[in-house]
Amino acid sequence: MTRIKMTSSTTPPVTDSSTTSTPSAGTTTTTGSTATATTAAVPLTHPIPVAALIPRPSSPAGSYYAMSDDEEGDYNTITHTSSGRGVKLLYTKSKVYIHPTPSAKDNIPGYIALLQQRNQHRDDRPSSGDSSSSPASSDLLLAWVPESQLGEAANLYVKVDLSADGDSPPKQSYLVPPPPTVTTHRGSVGPYAFAIPVSAVYSLLIRPPSVGWWWGSIIINSRAGDSFPALFFHDSECQSTILQKKKRTADTFDPFGEAGQMFWGGDEVLRWLKRYVQVERSGAEPNIYLIEPSKEDSVAFGGQPTTSQQAGSSSSRGGPGGAKGEAGMDPFVKLVKEAGWNLMEKFSKVTTFTRQAANDVLDNPRVPPQMRRLLRNPEVQTLQDEFDSARIYLARWAMGIAEQSDRERSRRTWTARDVMELEDTDVGEFELVDGANSLSLEERRRVLALNEWKGFFDERTGRLNVTADEVKERIFHGGLDPEDGVRKEAWLFLLGVYDWYSTADERKAQAASLRDAYIQLKGAWWERQVDLGGEGEEGEWWREQRNRIEKDVHRTDRNVPIFAGEDIPHPDPDSPFASTGTNVHMEQLKDMLLTYNEYNKGLGYVQGMSDLLAPIYAVLQDDALAFWAFQHFMDRMERNFLRDQSGMRAQLLALDNLVRFMDPKLYAHLESADSTNFFFFFRMLLVWYKREFEWADVLRLWEALWTDYLSSGFHLFIALAILERHRDVIMTHLKHFDEVLKYVNELSTTIDLESTLIRAEALFQRFRRLVEAIDRKEHFPGPRRTLSTASSSSASAALADAKGSSSNNSPSPPLPARPQSGPRAASPPAAATTKTKDNKGKTTATKATAPTAEEDKEENVEKIVTPALRKLLSREVEIIRAPVREGAGYPTRERA
Amino acid sequence: MSSNRNYDFLIKLLLIGDSGVGKSCCLLRFSEDSFTPSFITTIGIDFKIRTIELDGKRVKLQIWDTAGQERFRTITTAYYRGAMGILLVYDVTDERSFNNIRTWFANVEQHATEGVNKILIGNKCDWEEKRAVSKEQGQALADELGIPFLEVSAKANINIEEAFFSLANDIKKRIIDTSSKEASGGSSGVNVADNSGSGSGGKCC
Repeated sequence: MTRIKMTSSTTPPVTDSSTTSTPSAGTTTTTGSTATATTAAVPLTHPIPVAALIPRPSSPAGSYYAMSDDEEGDYNTITHTSSGRGVKLLYTKSKVYIHPTPSAKDNIPGYIALLQQRNQHRDDRPSSGDSSSSPASSDLLLAWVPESQLGEAANLYVKVDLSADGDSPPKQSYLVPPPPTVTTHRGSVGPYAFAIPVSAVYSLLIRPPSVGWWWGSIIINSRAGDSFPALFFHDSECQSTILQKKKRTADTFDPFGEAGQMFWGGDEVLRWLKRYVQVERSGAEPNIYLIEPSKEDSVAFGGQPTTSQQAGSSSSRGGPGGAKGEAGMDPFVKLVKEAGWNLMEKFSKVTTFTRQAANDVLDNPRVPPQMRRLLRNPEVQTLQDEFDSARIYLARWAMGIAEQSDRERSRRTWTARDVMELEDTDVGEFELVDGANSLSLEERRRVLALNEWKGFFDERTGRLNVTADEVKERIFHGGLDPEDGVRKEAWLFLLGVYDWYSTADERKAQAASLRDAYIQLKGAWWERQVDLGGEGEEGEWWREQRNRIEKDVHRTDRNVPIFAGEDIPHPDPDSPFASTGTNVHMEQLKDMLLTYNEYNKGLGYVQGMSDLLAPIYAVLQDDALAFWAFQHFMDRMERNFLRDQSGMRAQLLALDNLVRFMDPKLYAHLESADSTNFFFFFRMLLVWYKREFEWADVLRLWEALWTDYLSSGFHLFIALAILERHRDVIMTHLKHFDEVLKYVNELSTTIDLESTLIRAEALFQRFRRLVEAIDRKEHFPGPRRTLSTASSSSASAALADAKGSSSNNSPSPPLPARPQSGPRAASPPAAATTKTKDNKGKTTATKATAPTAEEDKEENVEKIVTPALRKLLSREVEIIRAPVREGAGYPTRERA
Repeated sequence: MSSNRNYDFLIKLLLIGDSGVGKSCCLLRFSEDSFTPSFITTIGIDFKIRTIELDGKRVKLQIWDTAGQERFRTITTAYYRGAMGILLVYDVTDERSFNNIRTWFANVEQHATEGVNKILIGNKCDWEEKRAVSKEQGQALADELGIPFLEVSAKANINIEEAFFSLANDIKKRIIDTSSKEASGGSSGVNVADNSGSGSGGKCC
């Protein structure tokens, strides 16, 4: 068996208040050890809580257990009256939760336990006085039982939990009903007890708690390849852990464990297991602990074995043979070996065949370590060296899995911790915790729904009651509810169709006049249509444009339901689509684009515009308002479509500067790969990642970008975030422009948005701090915000211009001051950059409070804040010119 | 380039022509043998890979696909330079796209490497009822420009293979057979996929 299953992250909801649950330790004293057979008296009719919930193979029938004297050793034992088959509770720990949903109120408290079941062939009872005799791992069960299902056994669990002080299990045998034994976990996380034979456990993914506010967790990965739900140790509620912690401190004045980390509940589980079986910490993946690893697993991932209670298996790590003779071999490795690369020669084969193999693995979404292992496999390594493309393919495949796992995660909720764990990057550790903001990351990223939105406005006048920046902050971080129609309203503000501080009446009037204006504009080209654009060059131009719009609309977002149908006959029998038909929404798109073509004649319709319009129309579902919203959007996008491509060049250059500034190593690599034209971001920048994300994500992304909350160039930080996410692959595997281009192009639809947004924000914060630090250093009198002194809870509101951002010339966004939480975050920005002009060579001067990544890694690179970079600190949208057009008849032109 | 390759020769091709003539569809048909009627517009630039066999040699075709609208020409012309062969594509149902071939050709002459092989391709030849450019007109233009000509259909899979093979063959003759013995590629007893060409989805752009 050579499988590592890894649940790459556990998503502990931020829950402090949660779960005051069921009987806590200490209240129960009766039933336990002193009981005798005669006092047993557990009613036979008592329902079996566990069995009732899940069918289990070996559950005792209807009866329950009674207590009796253990025949041997004078220990009191509780046995099953009917079957005589309770299982022995060796160790247990309380307040171990399953978090089925991100909501703390759904958390289910329970007990993790190590149980010993009676073995048919051997005596399962410890011979007296020798409680350490090891049972076979197949007789040991690692179990989790929800408190609600403990039933009468609750007392025993409590007792064993609290009695766990020494190394040994309690002298007395406590028999409890066996939870349903399983070896695989499929399906949902629920309040179900389970027990897995230790022999069926492949590994444990153990994440100790960090900085005190996350629960440590354990995930059991079975040999069958499943991951069980994460078990969260709420140590602060667990009596035994609290006692153990105290004891440690008292005994040794050292609350830390062997490895120097804080003692926590999960340590105990490892300790239990190590007592019976070999547990080996993976060298490759330090959070993984392999249980009774096979020889090849040890070779492949083990480090030094941390224990080897059971001699034998770890002793013979002789041959470097790697994975050989494997029944349970990873399907992909197997594929590679059996089929060889020959089979992959044909692309069609590769894409279907290996993808299928990949899918098998992908069924469990969290596989990155497996892929890492694959890439370490010597045979694959050789192949890789030989064949560039296979290498890239593998890398992409691995990243695909990683992205999928991101997505899995964000289907639940992102937490700061998740983000911290994302990956190392050369741009340094992310500092996300905004100390001044009392809201957690989760709360800040809570979706903005219609009700909350309505609450922003005065009931009587319909005027905004809060500042526009407050609203923008909410939209930037949380996004708008995709279901409840809030977008339909809010996008009109975001896109500047409505003034943020208008009254309901004003908006009504505005909408009415905009509708009139649209109809007028439409009339302009409608007339042209009579004579098909007329004679001469202009007529020719118009026909060509109409033709282009026609073709493009019929291939824009046709997978989105409203644009999918072909249910009405095409109005123009000469259209290439006359035979296929059209639908009313496509016709509306065409009208709007033709109108824009007329409205902005200098620019005209250019490919890509249909991509920009379709989402706006689909959300607003009102052609006139959608047109004007689109027109506003185009104000900022127009430069990208200019004939001389100057806008695109400027953007690619800004991206070039940004990457060079933020990640010189990556930049150097791209330089060596002849890729610093950043042309592979052309598509992303032109249509704002429309082709890179799924429809729903595009809507979310765009509304975040429209807020200009941090920067009007935030889309470049999205690009940077995407690059950083893939920097390892790029730097390791991609050596030529075509490879980079291909790789980046094919990221399309594989990118996880939520984590990208978070990463982009973190990168922006870092960028701003770096610039500030450099400015300070160079006494550059550049625009700089004064650091607000901190923790006013609504710093953003305080900083926001009461009249909205339209007149806000301040280049810096209204963010709260830097956090004070955590050592890293506490270091002032000034300490961040260390290079000075007079610092030649490698010196990293002024190593102040905390070391930062750029000190370590970017010593030799002089950072220059180019004008293009400085612009990225601005929230002001750059518009090419004041678009005043005759006959436009468009009323007020105020941008929010 | 690594020392071991799964091909003997690498040939770079470029598809140009008005937007909507079916460049991406031709490419998709050739590289993945598939067709999708409702495609998306090509933005920016991309390429696909297919390795073919020519006279016992493994020839890897890297075929670049470009956005058709002249607005993006300043960018796409950058890719003319590396191309060894260019497919000039028009739509037989769209006369304008045919008329624009001269412009495209002039562009090639201006920006591409001298002596680059070209072929004129009239796509959508299966769509007879909509045909606006006759085969003869196509042939006449090709003769005038002095380049080969084929009518194809990506949708019906007509002549797509032929078009690419014929261009590749011309290039091989021009560059490789004439210029000699030194095998640029090398040691390819082993076949391996070059997956950089295998699209990861139905999309190509």
